[in-house]
Amino acid sequence: MINALSIEDLSFTYQSWTEKENEPLFRALSLALPAGSKTLLLAPFNKGKTTLAKIICGVCPKYFPGELQGDINLYGKSLSDLDPWDLLPVCTYVSQNPQEQFVATSVEEEIAFPLESMGMERETMHARIEEAITQWGLQDLRTSSEQELSGGERKRVLLATMQAIDASFWLLDEAFDDLDQHWRDQLKHLIATKDKTVLVLASRYLREFDDLFDQVLLLDEGDIASGDRSTLISRFAHLCGDDLPSPLETEHIQPSQKRILSCKSLQAERSRVSTTKSKQFTLEVPDFQLRSGELVTLVGPNGSGKSSFSRLLCGLDTPIAGQITIDGEPFRDKQLSKRVGYLFQSPDLQIFLPTVAEELSWSLKRRSDLSKSEIESRIATCAELFSLDLEDTPTTMSYPLRKALQAAVYYLLDRPFYILDELDSALTYQSTLSIIAHLRRNGAGILLITHDRQFADKVAQRSYTIKEGRLIAV
Amino acid sequence: MTTNTYIAGKGWLYRFDPRAKLLLMLLMCVWFFLPVTLLHLALVVALVVLVGAHSTGWHHAWRTVYSISPMLLFMILFMPFNVREGVPLVSIGSFTVITKEGLEQALRLMSRFIGITYVCTLLFATTVMHEVMLTLRWYHLPYKASLVVTLAFTYIPFIADSFSQISESHRLREAEDEQKKKVGQRLKDLVPTLTSALVVALRSIPNLAMSLEMRGFGRQERRTSYHSLDAYHHVCTNFLLACIIPVAFWLASMLF
Repeated sequence: MINALSIEDLSFTYQSWTEKENEPLFRALSLALPAGSKTLLLAPFNKGKTTLAKIICGVCPKYFPGELQGDINLYGKSLSDLDPWDLLPVCTYVSQNPQEQFVATSVEEEIAFPLESMGMERETMHARIEEAITQWGLQDLRTSSEQELSGGERKRVLLATMQAIDASFWLLDEAFDDLDQHWRDQLKHLIATKDKTVLVLASRYLREFDDLFDQVLLLDEGDIASGDRSTLISRFAHLCGDDLPSPLETEHIQPSQKRILSCKSLQAERSRVSTTKSKQFTLEVPDFQLRSGELVTLVGPNGSGKSSFSRLLCGLDTPIAGQITIDGEPFRDKQLSKRVGYLFQSPDLQIFLPTVAEELSWSLKRRSDLSKSEIESRIATCAELFSLDLEDTPTTMSYPLRKALQAAVYYLLDRPFYILDELDSALTYQSTLSIIAHLRRNGAGILLITHDRQFADKVAQRSYTIKEGRLIAV
Repeated sequence: MTTNTYIAGKGWLYRFDPRAKLLLMLLMCVWFFLPVTLLHLALVVALVVLVGAHSTGWHHAWRTVYSISPMLLFMILFMPFNVREGVPLVSIGSFTVITKEGLEQALRLMSRFIGITYVCTLLFATTVMHEVMLTLRWYHLPYKASLVVTLAFTYIPFIADSFSQISESHRLREAEDEQKKKVGQRLKDLVPTLTSALVVALRSIPNLAMSLEMRGFGRQERRTSYHSLDAYHHVCTNFLLACIIPVAFWLASMLF
């Protein structure tokens, strides 16, 4: 039987932009995936899972410079003889960061773009696009632009595009993240029923993975380990630190002040400028409270308004009715932004500076009460706590590390309240929990937005959800 | 990387054939350079803004003018000083600061700048991007060139979007005790935001190139098109109108 993917003796080292040489990410890595197989490749935090996906797609080292050695074959053809565009009918990659993959200005165009590249007839395109749009519930969003979509909706567009291309090999990087339970089930069903070679890359073992894959592999120490499934999963859990006690259990929260962030009869609305057909989005919050030291979760379907609510809570948007108060005193706009820290779903919208050190010191340098040495000492401690290298360049860091940096920036701000928008996406449970513990060290109240109900149930003291535009306690 | 510029609506500009609309846009841009009086030029610009705002809303019209306001400010501040010959309007002793001609030239330049900017943004606000692409291809522009043009027009609002996101992000990172800033400090604070926006813009280029290649850009076979411009009717009438409108403005400026 022909292998869909075969990798032999793959070694890769990222080009260093500093004097310090980078460590090789892969050392003589070999992997063979038979055609039609379904494989789960587990990889702990920062071990090169996304780099491996990009190497397979032919865009690394082309766009991410580094030294690559070894042979990669896709359906018997050497990758060195192919360009990324040649792989279009063969392999589709769904990135863990959907924003980086959008090329068109509307959902429909995004799905149509690769089909047009393949020279497909209009009727065939129409049938495929309609099927994909219907299956992924994008009917009302077909003219929407990427900026008007939530994280989960963006991921659904990429999955719909993947389905419309109908390539024989699907490469899914953290594809279940960002999706609510309904769409996770749909993706699971699609993987199980379609006659495709599927490679799912994940940094967390989700319950959706049970009984879905023919084989489970583990990426560690630059190579791939195979073997007994339960042994590999246990080893993976150990590498991720999931067998360690939860950092939340060992923490001693000492709030300096007992504070309450609350909303009463809050209302917001927003319309999509790209369409006149879809109805206006509205959000109603009859009652919401977050106290110091609390860990509260907010779960809800994709596009239900979780991020919109977060923007209201941190003062980036203004409600059309109602009030947000802290300890009974009304707060709005900038006053609120200085009290409620909001970690966006995508870290790339919050980190911009050339080095980790500059990113961490940006806010501290604006404070008149801190000396230069005090700033240096604080950022050094913080970098150690979040496992960051101060000289690193954020743009070349892995996605989980960029998330850790985003959290570290807020750690230094020491806000009384934090909103963590899908912090757990692409992070291990242990990393997520330790970030929460760090942010909560002085008794901050945390609102965690997540799609992982299992995780939410495990960590939350209370929970909210959004149903039909209304935020309610569950 | 691909910010949408389209604003959904139902006015006549939305029903106007994009091919004729592009021609109208180009002819209007030429019109703004015709030797007409300042009053006529300002009236036509005002009429264009009025008609456009009726279709896309006043918010869009305001945002367009607001986005070019720094340039307009420079024009009004410096242009009058460059033209020293003519009827003095403001003088300090024997030194002429502003002349009537200088002021007129500044106002003419501003009107042209507003007119051209607004007409161009109107095209992209009332035409979905794939129709702009089809229009350019209809005018026999090669596919790659059409893609570059449309990407350029989505890239500018992307940079503007990045700028506001970075400003929001910086706002969320202000210290709790930070006081209201003076104008000087605010201008100083613009530097890291602008630098960051530039970094984001530059960083997105290889990502966009990578994504385009992964979506088949560069393949040898003939590229097909999912959409067409067949839904537009009365194409000839629209082309005729696209020619008549600037000519009518010209005649009106001659007569009145």
